Parts: sequence; C-alpha cells; structure tokens
Amino acid sequence: MVQITFVQPDGNRTTIDAAIGDSVMQTALANGVDGIFAECGGAMMCATCHCYVDEAWAGRTGKREDGEEDMLECAASEMRETSRLSCQLKVSQDIDGLVVHLPEEQA
Amino acid sequence: MAVAPVDETLTLADLTRDPYPIYRRMRAETPIVRVPAANRIFLTKAKHTKMVKEDPELYSSDDPVTPMQRAFQAHTLMRKDGVEHRRERMAMQPSFSPKVVKSDWSTLYTDIARDYLDRLPRGETVDLFTALCGPVAARILAHMLGLDEASDADMMRWSQILIDGAGNFGFDEEPFARSDAANAEMNALFDKLAPRHRAEPNNSAFSVMVNARDPIPTSQIYANIKIAIGGGINEPRDALATIVYGLLTNPEQLEEVRRQGAWLDAFEEGIRWVAPIQASSRRAVRDLQIDGIDIPEGVTLMTIQASANRDEELYEDGEAFNVFRKKVPHQAFGSGPHHCAGAHIARRTVGEIMLPMLFERFPDMSLERPEDVVWSGFGFRGPLNLPVRLN
Repeated sequence: MVQITFVQPDGNRTTIDAAIGDSVMQTALANGVDGIFAECGGAMMCATCHCYVDEAWAGRTGKREDGEEDMLECAASEMRETSRLSCQLKVSQDIDGLVVHLPEEQA
Repeated sequence: MAVAPVDETLTLADLTRDPYPIYRRMRAETPIVRVPAANRIFLTKAKHTKMVKEDPELYSSDDPVTPMQRAFQAHTLMRKDGVEHRRERMAMQPSFSPKVVKSDWSTLYTDIARDYLDRLPRGETVDLFTALCGPVAARILAHMLGLDEASDADMMRWSQILIDGAGNFGFDEEPFARSDAANAEMNALFDKLAPRHRAEPNNSAFSVMVNARDPIPTSQIYANIKIAIGGGINEPRDALATIVYGLLTNPEQLEEVRRQGAWLDAFEEGIRWVAPIQASSRRAVRDLQIDGIDIPEGVTLMTIQASANRDEELYEDGEAFNVFRKKVPHQAFGSGPHHCAGAHIARRTVGEIMLPMLFERFPDMSLERPEDVVWSGFGFRGPLNLPVRLN
C-alpha cells in the first residue's frame, strides 16, 4: 500500500491507501473521492479523470502515454504542464506520497 | 459452467413497446439470457455491461455481419477497435471539445435555440417533439459537422435512413436502397463542401478532419460524418423530449430544478431514466464466462445500458424519474473506448442551453394528457410525440 493525496479545488485534502498496480483513477473511484468521474473507465477516451500532479512531484510520475495529450486537450478544465489523466497514472512504490490536485470541472 | 438460459417467447415488438418491466424481471431472474428473437445474449446488470464495454480485447466492437457496414457503405469507427478506432475518433474529437464548445458553439447554439423557440406559438398545444426537439438537434449538429448548407429536414431524413439501415438485421433490400440513395446525396454534399472547408479552416468536424496534419482517408472522413449524422440527432432529440416529459409530469421536481438551476442534474437523470441509446453489441473473441455463464466465441452480446441504468444494485427506485436522487454514475453514454464522443457537448447544448431557455420562455407550459405520449424503441428509445400546451 502507498499513500496518495487528492486535493479538491476548495483545498480539501483526502489521503488514501492505494493498492500497487491500480491506477490513481481506480483508487479515487474505489474510495469515493469526489471530482474523478472516469466515464470511459480508463480507455483514454473522455478526459473526465483529469488531474494536476503537484509541482513537487513534477517529473516523478513518468511521461504522458501516447494519445493522452490529445485527450487532455479536450478536458473541461484547462490543460497545464502538470495535467495527467489519472487512469494512466499507475500506483507504484515510486509514487508513495503522491499529491494530485483535482480540476474545477470534469464534464 | 452453465449455458445461458433462453427466453424463447420474447419478441422485438415486446421490447420496442416497453422493455423496462422485461429488463426488471431479467435482472431479478435471468440477468444473462439468450434472446433468440434478437440472436444475442442480453446482459442486463450494470456490472456486466460496464465490464464488457471496458474490455475491448475480449469483447470486440468489430461485428463482421453488421448491417451497419452495408448501410454506411463503409466500415465505420463504431465497429473498430484499438489504434484504428482511436485514430479515426481523435480526428474529429477537437470539434466536440470543451474549448471549442466555449469558443464556437455556445453562442451559436444559444442563438439557434432562441430562433427555434421564437417560431413556437404561445397559448396553443404543440408537438414539441416535431416542432422543436428534432429540428433544433438537426441544426446544431449541422453546424458542428460543418454542413451548414444541409436543411433540418435533410439532416433528420438522412439520420433516420442510416439508423434504419444499420438496424436492418434481416438484410431486406428496401432499407438499403434508401440508404444507398441517401449516401449518394450526402457524398455529393460533402464533395461540394470540402473545398470551402480546406480554404477556410474552422472548428467544424469536417474542417478539422480535412485540415489535419495527417488526415485520415477521405472515405473515412465521409463515413465518420455519416456516423455523426446517424448518431447525433436522435439522441439529443430524445433526451430533450424525455427530460421535458419527466419534468412536466413531476411538477414538484420542476419547481425545485428551477429554484436551484439544476438543469444539468435534470439532464443526467433524464438520460439515466430512459437512455436514448438503450443497447449496444459486442462480440466475444473467444470462449469466455461471465458470472459462471458460458459465452461461446463469436457470440454477440447485447449490453443493455437501459437496464444497467435502473439496476437495483446501484439505484433505489430506479424505475422512477427523480432528479434529486443520490448521485450514482449511469451508463447512458456507454463506457470504455466507445464512450460517447458527444457527451460533453450534449450536456452543454441540452442541459445548459435548451432546457433552461425552453422553461424560461414558457414557464407555465403543461402536458395535459401524459397518457397520449407514445414511447417506442428497443435500440434507440424516446417519446414519438410530446403534445405540450405552451404558456
């Protein structure tokens, strides 16, 4: 288990024990974190699991997957340097303590 | 190991008339059931429909015997998987993105909505389905696709003909003769419009596709515009009609929606309650099992999202229209790689533009005889009429 913290747009923080191998998106859904819709179920086809990786974690969560950027451009809230689709962020020991910020809008 | 139970007596006519009591019974007694009349195994539970749609490697969209191919004269992205599907889909996705909705479509669609509302008489009973829901959906789609020149009537006619052709499982000649003629009309229009979209790039799907750095073949551009015509009018039309019906038959909810401005919640509940697209097909790529039931290779599964959206495991009193129910995700837009490309734009146009404008324009409109509204459809479903007194 590793810990992931989700920060709501209003600043509210929730820290979750995440299972290695799940995606950050699955972790959010399984724990009822608000603000991650994941309508397409992780197929990189909807951009409703958009999140911003905390600046402190920049460069430590790997590169965007092929096709992820095209979909991020279709996200409801602005795409930033730190934008990721949380369905493409795999939970591993390397990201223990990861902080992600949720956007104002998902759909 | 168990063979799926068979529902020998069920007919497509039964499902077209009112599938909901049938699905309710199936969920309780035979959630995975073979229906010979449809030549498919039905999946009626939310967990099963979602699982199948999210696993394209085991459950393919590629149906080698689909009448859709014949109707569209092409193998369309709806029936493709993997990278091939992604490439075609992403070719037009920018036109439907929130950014373009904000920059191009919001203002235009508000103007279109106002214009179509202006045409409606006050103090009379009007069939909103034919006077508003269909035409406004057609006009909005024409602009989104870059087919401004096409009339509402042509857009609606082509759409219905393509749908009829795609649903022509008996491969009768007549529907295909009509779809061939419609394809010829659409191709001629597209040929005429292509030079303009090349010369004056814009954010319509047509223009975005022809001006891409690495465009998909013209044949696929045309096929995919046709998919959008076939699949982009009846859904917003039926969604709008369904939601208006739901609100007018539940005045206390309408009042609360007004008070809170909860039009988007009304939208989500309407499409959960009666999903405009009720069912989809997937093919098992090898021998599989779902919850202990054998799914033989090659069999076509029908994921019934209409049923999933009322699944007792997820929804309390799911048969009822209740805007203010506990929020639980629904599957009206599907799930997995084929999740509706128009989901975002549908929310904006129907939920944020059409609904509030309609109810603001006619604050005292009423559905005097709800029993006169005729509901129909198995694959696609909605009211066929909506006689509303406009006041």
